[in-house]
Amino acid sequence: MSERFFIRELPNGMTLLGQQMAHVSSAAVTLVVPCGAACDPPGLAGASAVACEWCVRGAGERSTRQLNDALDALGCQHQEMVRSEHMLFGAAQLGRNLPAVLELLADVLLRPRLDDETFGPGRALVEQDLATLADEPARQCSLMLRERFYPSPLGRCVYGTPEGLAAATAETIRGHIDGHYRPQGAILAAAGNIDWPALSDLGERLFAGWPAGRSVEPELRPPAGGTTHVAKDSAQVHIGLAHRAAPIHHELYYASRMAEMVLSGGAAARLHTEVREKRGLVYHVASHYHSLKGHAGMFTYAGTRPDLAQETFEATVTEIRRLADGVCDDEVTRARTQLKSALIMQGESTSARANALASDWYHLARLRSLEELSAAIESVTADEVLAYLHAFPASEFTVLAIGPEPVDTGALDA
Amino acid sequence: MQFKHRKLDNGLTIVAEVHPPAATMAAGFFVRTGSRDEPAELAGVSHFLEHMTFKGTPRRTALDVNREFDELGAHYNAFTSEENTVYYGAVLPEFQARLLDLLCDILRPSLRQEDFDVEKNVILDEIARYQDMPRYRLYEMLMAEYFLPHPLGHSVLGTTESVAALGRDDMQAYFDRRYSPGNVTLVGVGKVDFDALVDQAAQMCSHWRPYDVRRDTAAPPPAVRRKVQADPGVAREQIGLASPAPASQDDERYAAMLAATILGDVTGSRLFYALVDPAIADEASCVYDALDGSGVFLTFVSAGPEQAAEALRIARDEMATFLDGGPTEAELLAAKNKIASGATLKGELPMGRLTAVGYDWVYRGQYVPLADQIEALYAVTPDEVLAVARRYDMTSATVVALGPVEQL
Repeated sequence: MSERFFIRELPNGMTLLGQQMAHVSSAAVTLVVPCGAACDPPGLAGASAVACEWCVRGAGERSTRQLNDALDALGCQHQEMVRSEHMLFGAAQLGRNLPAVLELLADVLLRPRLDDETFGPGRALVEQDLATLADEPARQCSLMLRERFYPSPLGRCVYGTPEGLAAATAETIRGHIDGHYRPQGAILAAAGNIDWPALSDLGERLFAGWPAGRSVEPELRPPAGGTTHVAKDSAQVHIGLAHRAAPIHHELYYASRMAEMVLSGGAAARLHTEVREKRGLVYHVASHYHSLKGHAGMFTYAGTRPDLAQETFEATVTEIRRLADGVCDDEVTRARTQLKSALIMQGESTSARANALASDWYHLARLRSLEELSAAIESVTADEVLAYLHAFPASEFTVLAIGPEPVDTGALDA
Repeated sequence: MQFKHRKLDNGLTIVAEVHPPAATMAAGFFVRTGSRDEPAELAGVSHFLEHMTFKGTPRRTALDVNREFDELGAHYNAFTSEENTVYYGAVLPEFQARLLDLLCDILRPSLRQEDFDVEKNVILDEIARYQDMPRYRLYEMLMAEYFLPHPLGHSVLGTTESVAALGRDDMQAYFDRRYSPGNVTLVGVGKVDFDALVDQAAQMCSHWRPYDVRRDTAAPPPAVRRKVQADPGVAREQIGLASPAPASQDDERYAAMLAATILGDVTGSRLFYALVDPAIADEASCVYDALDGSGVFLTFVSAGPEQAAEALRIARDEMATFLDGGPTEAELLAAKNKIASGATLKGELPMGRLTAVGYDWVYRGQYVPLADQIEALYAVTPDEVLAVARRYDMTSATVVALGPVEQL
């Protein structure tokens, strides 16, 4: 049975998307606005994160508390966050409460109070989130690696920098919101127990009057790349490596996802088997595909004890490279099953579907059905995976390691 | 949805919440054993054993186990807590029999010496991984300070020393004491074929020999202790509080859940408005941990070193205020809506129902449909929440702190 998709593009550039799902009582919504960390102005790194935090401190007629209480009363499980390319609002609740939640989200987006007295605490929370990274070395490794791998400023750390946050003022952040919160490229995706005609009308009523702004694309600079060591007296060495992968619109995209599965799709995949299972070098080693518009990478992480760091690094690099020597049919068959199974399980979750709709629209300007995705996965052969591995070779790695001693990356030059 | 259950002659219980319209099914073995059941010198054995079940059986090597799970496209894993060790997987319905073949087989692991020796290194690395998480270190400190010498204070992972000292035979002896079929429940949810589940379990598990398994579920005496551990390698001050709460078997557990939500949910709670909204703390939360024969309220606060003392004082003031006046009607309704909404969302996925159905059976020997639980939740009155707050006085708590601060 194929999914019921709905699309409505508003004249001001905002898109409404819907997927009606049977047998669920919840409805989830993902709302993205093109104001991510990548568009933080020079000298104001972290501006988008501060803006996102500030927007929810009172909107429309409601104070912070009244807004929070209204969302809580609707049983809304919500999150607000800034990512590289977007500010994202996510909300999940019983389907019958979705319309009321959307009214509140519209207030937050279009009529945030942005009072002077709430600016300080909002900015302070972002500063504290940034400071907390020092206590989360695995996460810090991942964020710093992205920053160096992607063309700047696409991969920039979403929390900004201490200097950028300190420089922010209520006035400059209001200006930032004015300049970047706009309907062009904004996407509202709802999935689950929805009434599309009513939702579509509501979306129009709430957002069609959002004045069009000007589209702002950040100017890109080449990625920093290279190898970086961050000294920390930690119990583990946290090793991150990244190399180029096929972006979503690329013809070898599905082959890249299959390669990801063969390398790291489960406990029988290459990394887990060779680095953990057979050698006991790590508890956690994994590769995952990540992309921004037009750019993608395979990001590998291994956490290991300092005395095993060198061996772990070399074993991990060996496995990533060895993939290009050949993948066998069993591995490809397994990868197919895993990808299709994951798709079906994602299809049960209203919030996963809302996220997928927004992502599809952003990257492809269309929605991919389960049938299309299954067929695409089914069609990838072992040869095509190899073609992908040769087109996007495991070379020119960006490396970021956090731990007591640097790792010798000589193996990368071999 | 339909609930079904059966018990094999050897005491293995099989329960299922059957939901034919679901797209997937999930199954899991719930073993009623965890760190609280370990002798101190075997600290970490339950968790290490959980790892070892994936390392092979008489008819499968570790690589076979991993490969077969992956061939099913299974989302699978296992976890160990203070009280339970759970092995589970979710698959498309056509793979039910193969999933069960795997799960039933690995519950009788071979514990081969070479596998044991290699996997020990993986466990030691896992311990190191958690040492780099100040929040987790604080949790262990808090449980130890509050509960010890009661076994609920044992670390689930164990220590580098205790795990290094564990021998393969120690593990086998522990397995032989705890994994009796009478101490295990097989749970199925989603699009599960119950008759096939029972037939297969009977075929594969009837030979599991039953024996007596005990657990002393007497509640530990409440402890009011204080420990501040200075660690300049930690950037933010982590603060934890622990105090008694209703047991998982108590009718007051719904009121306790609501009290914790009103006081310390991550959004819109007393602690949120008092600490996070004004950015005195970056995180403040309170959870109700329902245990076997006892319970504990756990509160966590994370703040910068210069604000830590103030954050702790404010948190304690909020607890005192709550104990004094209880919740408002609006707060109570909002908490009910949030919990009900969260449970409904979680319940739409087979994996979300697996632990709910499993724990209802393991802890209370009953099945309660989600709708009935939500109804019971909405029936709780403000007075009942206040009664729990007063009976389980959170102002009398063990306090621990970890971070740059020397004194609090």
